[in-house]
Amino acid sequence: MNSKILHLIGGGADIGTSRTFWIGFIIVVILFALYPIQVSEFRASNAAYYLLNIPLGLGMALLWGYCGVLSFGHVAYFGIAGYTYGIIAGNMVGNSFGLIAGVIGGLLASTLVAGVFAYFVFYARVREWIIPILTLVLTILLETFLGQTAGYQWRVGSVLLGGYNGMTGIPSIQIGSFVFMGYSFYYLCLIIVLVCYVALRMLLNSNFGQVVIAIREDPLRTEMFGYDIRARKWLVFVLSAVLASISGLLYVQWGNYITPSQVGLLSAALPVIWASVGGRSSLLAVIIATLILNWVNFTLSAQGNQYAMVIIGTALVITMLFFPRGIVVMTAEWIGKFTNRSNNEATH
Amino acid sequence: MEIDALALSLTYQFGTNAAFLFLSALGLIVILGMMNIINLAHGELMMMGAYAATIANNQFGLPFPLAVIVSFFAVAIFGAILELLIVRRFYGRELSALVVTWGISLILGQGTFLVFGPFMPAIKIPGGSYSYGGFSFSEYWLVLIGISISLVIGLYWLYRYTSYGLQARATMQNAEIAKALGVPTNRVYTLTFSLGAGLAGLSGALLAPTSTIAPFMGQQFVAPAFITVVVGGATNVISGAVGSSVLLSAIKTPIGMAYGAFLGTVALLVAALVIIRIMPDGISATLQKIMDRRRARHTL
Repeated sequence: MNSKILHLIGGGADIGTSRTFWIGFIIVVILFALYPIQVSEFRASNAAYYLLNIPLGLGMALLWGYCGVLSFGHVAYFGIAGYTYGIIAGNMVGNSFGLIAGVIGGLLASTLVAGVFAYFVFYARVREWIIPILTLVLTILLETFLGQTAGYQWRVGSVLLGGYNGMTGIPSIQIGSFVFMGYSFYYLCLIIVLVCYVALRMLLNSNFGQVVIAIREDPLRTEMFGYDIRARKWLVFVLSAVLASISGLLYVQWGNYITPSQVGLLSAALPVIWASVGGRSSLLAVIIATLILNWVNFTLSAQGNQYAMVIIGTALVITMLFFPRGIVVMTAEWIGKFTNRSNNEATH
Repeated sequence: MEIDALALSLTYQFGTNAAFLFLSALGLIVILGMMNIINLAHGELMMMGAYAATIANNQFGLPFPLAVIVSFFAVAIFGAILELLIVRRFYGRELSALVVTWGISLILGQGTFLVFGPFMPAIKIPGGSYSYGGFSFSEYWLVLIGISISLVIGLYWLYRYTSYGLQARATMQNAEIAKALGVPTNRVYTLTFSLGAGLAGLSGALLAPTSTIAPFMGQQFVAPAFITVVVGGATNVISGAVGSSVLLSAIKTPIGMAYGAFLGTVALLVAALVIIRIMPDGISATLQKIMDRRRARHTL
């Protein structure tokens, strides 16, 4: 039983299966846990921002890297969850169930949209390239809709949608009278990221995950083995939308606001970029790329650097040209080859 | 009299919507049909066409029709360079091609912003307008409808009667056999990508007077262009582009007139989802199937 769980966590669905890897992994997690002690609350809050984007990146890795379905519009689910939370929690200020209802409502709303959308595309068995296009159109429409909601007539209960200025004053999550802010919010993000990573790794090492990978490798053959690939793709799509919603829910806690540009074209590009630069076929690689690229982007735009988008676009083109499997994954492969060779030399 | 004018106005709206969808999607569908690649930088190529036309018109004083032709060639040359340097490494990898062209679109959009700033002086809409029974009709949009129809005829001629068209159709049907028979498929790909880019530039230039000219103007064409392509499919370039822009315009025009432009676009997306549920490969594939069946019946 115990070894079965260990196998699920440590199996080969992601890079890093050796003992050295896991020791390193635990050390890094401990360093992340110690990080807030050495820095100001402001820096910890910035770091929390890099962390909270990781579930969105993991959703992309799951959908694109492991299932072979590309979506350009996962920020739509990020936005739907964030806005729904804002509407529900904002209307139930003072009620102790308001925040929980907001979280559940946000997850349900984006699951519903993703479910209906995925039904149409997967059960029609459309060509590969149609899904990214339609997801992109969906997110653009959502941005257009939210952008024109300025004014007093666009309000739900007591919450204004706010047009391009966005929704402000979204309440933070709290347990009793304890509010997650600053340091405690950093730890909340860190724990959620860890849980998402370990749970996804277990899922991908399980039977279900192996079938998902088989669908990516050869959909027709997998179907001939008797698996319903439409239902599995549907489920994976919805699951990755839930991961995007988790990021959306954390985002509105972080800044207490959300704007339509969060579901705009440029935001939609980001998760795809994290997944390709890191290496979409590895959860860990996507996590690393998400952290680093968010840090770069945040630092550049904080300095008012107008080249941020050009730099990120160039990084994407260069990665696709020269590192088709992702920079982190190809580095890991190179290290793996290197250590294997030295092991072989030692035995000869 | 009143109903006359309303009917005329509906027809006119239908025509302009169909022309708009056709023009935004044309370059995209030409590239898709040939190489199975969706060019996500399409909107930015249209933006470049609009910029080229504006610069040629305002700074070099070229008359507008000439500026439009200049922008076709300028963007076509840029497209050829793009194909040779980047796109050609991604044939057969559809999703990677999508991602890399997206990277290109980010660079082009932000790059234009950095070089030319946030705004360009607008081009005045050429020609005047007619009015009839309380509705007004712009001369320029009537010309655009005419240009769309002549583009259809021109493309039909290009694919049907030129040696490039023959080679292109052969490559579309089966690239390997075409290559074995001596068709320079690589050159066909470069030419087609360049043609698609040029058509995007041409459409951008033609639509420039009707919109604000800004670095991120390409984004407004993304939704209509891609929905048209998804609905049209890539089995036959011309029937796909024409069929889907006419069908979608028939859906968008009444809804847009009654409920506003945004809901018109939402109706487009919903229609696209329903249509691909029935015809997963688009209108052009379904039309092709019907034609094949009819032909088979004749031969029997």
